[in-house]
Amino acid sequence: MSANRWFATGNFYTTYRQEQRIFTTHLDRVLFGLFLFFLFVWPLFVSASNKHMLVINNILIAVVAVYGLNLVTGFAGLISIGHAAFVGIGAYTLAGTARAIGDSHVLITHAWPLMILISGFMGAAFGAFVGLPAMRLKHLYLAIATLSFQMIFSWTINFMTFFNQGQMIAVGRVFWISGQVGRNEHYLFWYYVILVTAVVCGLGVRNLLRTRYGRCLVAVRDNDRAADAMGMHPGLTKVYAFALAGFFAGIAGALHTYMFRGAGFESFTLHHSIIYLAMAIVGGLGTLPGSLFGPVAIQILELQMEHISEWAGTFLPATMNLATALRPLGFGLVIVLFLMFEPRGIANWWRICRSYFKLWPFRY
Amino acid sequence: MTYFLQLVVSGIVVGSIYALSALGFVLIYKSSRVLNIAHGQIIAGGAYIVFALTVWAGVPIFLSFLASMAITFFLAMSVERIFLRRLIGEPIISVIMVTIGLMSILDGIIYLTPFGSLNFSFPEFLPPTPISLGGVSISWTQLVGVVITAILIGAFSWFFKSATLGISMRAVSDDQFASMSVGISVPRVFGLAWAMAGLSAAGAGAIIGNITGLNFETLRAFGITVFPVVILGGLDSIIGAVVAGIIMGLIQQFAAGYLDGNWGLNGTADVLPYIILLVILLFKPHGLFGTHEIERV
Amino acid sequence: MKGIRFRGCMVVLALGLALVLTPPAAAGETYKLGLSLAITGPTSDAGNPYSKGVEDYMRLVNDTGILGDAKVDCPIRDDMYETAVTKRNFEDFIDQGIVLFLSYATGGNLALAQDFDEVQIPVIPASFHKGIVDAAKYVFLPIASYSHQYVGLGEYVAKNHKGGDLPKVACFIHPSAFGRAPLEDFQAAIAAGLKMEIVEVVEHGKDLDNSALLQRLRSKGVQYVLCQTVQSPVVTLINDSQRLGLTAQSFGEEGKITFLGAHYTGGNDLIALAGSAAEGFYWTTSYRLTSEKGPWTAWQLDLAKKYGRDEKTANSHNYTNGIMAAQVAVEAIRRTREAGQEVTRAALYETLNQMNGDKAYQPLTTVGPVTYSATDRMGVDTLQLYVVKDGAFRAVGEPFKPEYLK
Repeated sequence: MSANRWFATGNFYTTYRQEQRIFTTHLDRVLFGLFLFFLFVWPLFVSASNKHMLVINNILIAVVAVYGLNLVTGFAGLISIGHAAFVGIGAYTLAGTARAIGDSHVLITHAWPLMILISGFMGAAFGAFVGLPAMRLKHLYLAIATLSFQMIFSWTINFMTFFNQGQMIAVGRVFWISGQVGRNEHYLFWYYVILVTAVVCGLGVRNLLRTRYGRCLVAVRDNDRAADAMGMHPGLTKVYAFALAGFFAGIAGALHTYMFRGAGFESFTLHHSIIYLAMAIVGGLGTLPGSLFGPVAIQILELQMEHISEWAGTFLPATMNLATALRPLGFGLVIVLFLMFEPRGIANWWRICRSYFKLWPFRY
Repeated sequence: MTYFLQLVVSGIVVGSIYALSALGFVLIYKSSRVLNIAHGQIIAGGAYIVFALTVWAGVPIFLSFLASMAITFFLAMSVERIFLRRLIGEPIISVIMVTIGLMSILDGIIYLTPFGSLNFSFPEFLPPTPISLGGVSISWTQLVGVVITAILIGAFSWFFKSATLGISMRAVSDDQFASMSVGISVPRVFGLAWAMAGLSAAGAGAIIGNITGLNFETLRAFGITVFPVVILGGLDSIIGAVVAGIIMGLIQQFAAGYLDGNWGLNGTADVLPYIILLVILLFKPHGLFGTHEIERV
Repeated sequence: MKGIRFRGCMVVLALGLALVLTPPAAAGETYKLGLSLAITGPTSDAGNPYSKGVEDYMRLVNDTGILGDAKVDCPIRDDMYETAVTKRNFEDFIDQGIVLFLSYATGGNLALAQDFDEVQIPVIPASFHKGIVDAAKYVFLPIASYSHQYVGLGEYVAKNHKGGDLPKVACFIHPSAFGRAPLEDFQAAIAAGLKMEIVEVVEHGKDLDNSALLQRLRSKGVQYVLCQTVQSPVVTLINDSQRLGLTAQSFGEEGKITFLGAHYTGGNDLIALAGSAAEGFYWTTSYRLTSEKGPWTAWQLDLAKKYGRDEKTANSHNYTNGIMAAQVAVEAIRRTREAGQEVTRAALYETLNQMNGDKAYQPLTTVGPVTYSATDRMGVDTLQLYVVKDGAFRAVGEPFKPEYLK
């Protein structure tokens, strides 16, 4: 270990413990701390409009969901086209409870952290169950098994009267120490809740990857036969990856339901599964920062395309559908061009950036 | 009994349309291992080109059918050339993601045309009276659809079995590096696979468009409908796509015919294929006709 | 590669900046409204002409001074039929201080119902689901609800059915809240004495072939199929029926099936999609159609021509639909101004609620007057039945009100 723990140049480890540190240098730690501090205090100084708070909350919820997807697809290498269904399981655990015991029952309005956690475990249970085919199936066959789950989920929600046949199930406003969280502070309140959840989950994922189980995931992704020979159980590892993914998705789903004040099946369709996948890939599969960059990039891109097409609509002839078509067209083009030039996602830029600073003053 | 036979006939008809839709998907997967999520949009595009040629340009329908296949052949080839050529050798998942982006781009292009917001239907060029055999009926449109499907699938099967290009495509799907070393141009094979997928998608689009009318949502939904079909058949098998397509068609018809309306069930045709797919995959993890991969450490 | 990466970084930065710099709101006496609907994605074939109807009428208001010196500003947002995006648009509009919200889908309205009531903003949806009104008291349905349309169709069947037996009907519905909306009321109407028997309720999937379904219905003696869905599923159904020779040539023909449908099943789109198979399809809505000549035809076509719309859009009933929603909104603003009140959400809500009796509003585009009150949340209470004859919808009889529904 270099003597200076503030500005270390290059990788220099003498023990495995050092290599596994979350923060390699003190500078990393301080910067991360500052970033977190910024995330927590900015709402005190800037008051964002409800729309922007909604977008930011949405991004953070997607971050939590994408942690899960990144674990199963990025770290364990199992493509999942049913992630929105897991998010839906979480959302409907909460919404179903609300429907069974009333939407302003104490359990929902006061014990909401518990409800979020329960939704997470419900997601995990379903994740493990859906992950069972992973014992036998591989690659795209497995991906389609998750797609099947997505379809079966949509149909079930849409069919069962208990779930209001896919119509909105409302969830009451929650209480905090200061009383009921009203409309004005709704988004700010949930911003902090979601932020704390996202940070805790992120640290959880980061720590998981330092453990035996995390390394198991990566080993199974790289070659499951070899992992088998090394004494790991690839089947169980995959099931457990799905359970973890389901857990994060479930939590995201419960947060979604609380923030949108109810659950309707439109938010958990195949389209959303594909969007989650897009977020994970654009962010960078198999990297933790990628789970952060992806949702931010995709949602801001979506919003910008909306702005641009609206702005274009002010001068383009209204007779044509130019402004309408611009949004999907631009969205697709940006994604395709980005991936053509950077197939490893935004996290790769991050990596290049970091290694530049790490190696400075040397080139390599 | 007639009811049962009608279900069987309808199932086979619908199934062969599924098979044709799935064909393009299989072709791309077979050569490049890419899951093409934008397939539904290509199907819709093919249908629109046929319509535009027939109705707006006044070309006879069979001619415009062939012309649209030719056009999508080159369109799909250029899509591969522009967007996907760079990505050869990159992780497959990135390529799949590119097809997601492509889906959005094609959506945008279609929204630029009147087809994005308006509905159209093909002029009737076949006799409207159905062919009836002892209570079981099949329309001319459907019959022509089945015949075209059979012709196309026959042609593709022959192509992969006997033509040099077809064999080189099979070689590429088997081992890219080995086929490069014997002088096969992998990029060219990929381009050809996309081109042929475009061609078959145009055929499928034209037939579906004739049956359902030209509604963008309906047409593009086929991109997803083919998923269970190709997986059941085994991703890289043409004959698998045909058999699985027909099985799926039959399952849907039987579900709609015998389950719906009983025991309070409804709309089972949309979900039953997936349930059956899961069960079959448990016993045959590579689909019915898929290649068993031999994995080595 | 380095250059590209650098440029990429700049693009991301620029996009981020643009997020912060949203355009400022216009000043002066401009009333802000907002419309969020699906111009792309599911149901966009209805949403697209709808958005054009709203857009054109708003432009007409500003160009011809319907509100005097005041202007309306109605940004139109595409929500791709996604509730989350609808909510985002709604919050954005509220931030911008809109006085009235034009909304779209059943799902989105139900999801936002709590917010409508909390913000106390009058809302005119494009969905005619009765449940929305029950969920939020600030919602004003433009025309008779799906339930009214459906029961109205049922009553027409009961009245015009030939033969002494009970007419046997099947319900062909969309597998969603939208499709199931009128079922309960329909069953209640039958319990209340509407003479018919529901043989089967069919929630359709994405079927390409309905032969078996039709034969099954026929073998059960079904003579009427009431549809509450969108056009494409109806199209495959009536296409197959025509092919099997099951379509009735005249209403209620013995041994054949007559098809009837509510607002979103019909219109010129149905004829465009189904061609000759649409002949004899009965459809009900509260809107005037351009195919039934009257003063409204010229008015609507002129409006469309003025703003350069194509012929298909100009004749679409969803174009009318959009115009009418905009008309009601603008009329409410006009009346509030006339009364000398400040145009606020509360004032508009009051004005809309008083739109009844001699204050009822009669736009050119509907078959009856628009009436609202504290208990009546449905604008046009009357419905008009249309039938496809020689490739166009023709009116059947006079406008009517369903009797078996309160």
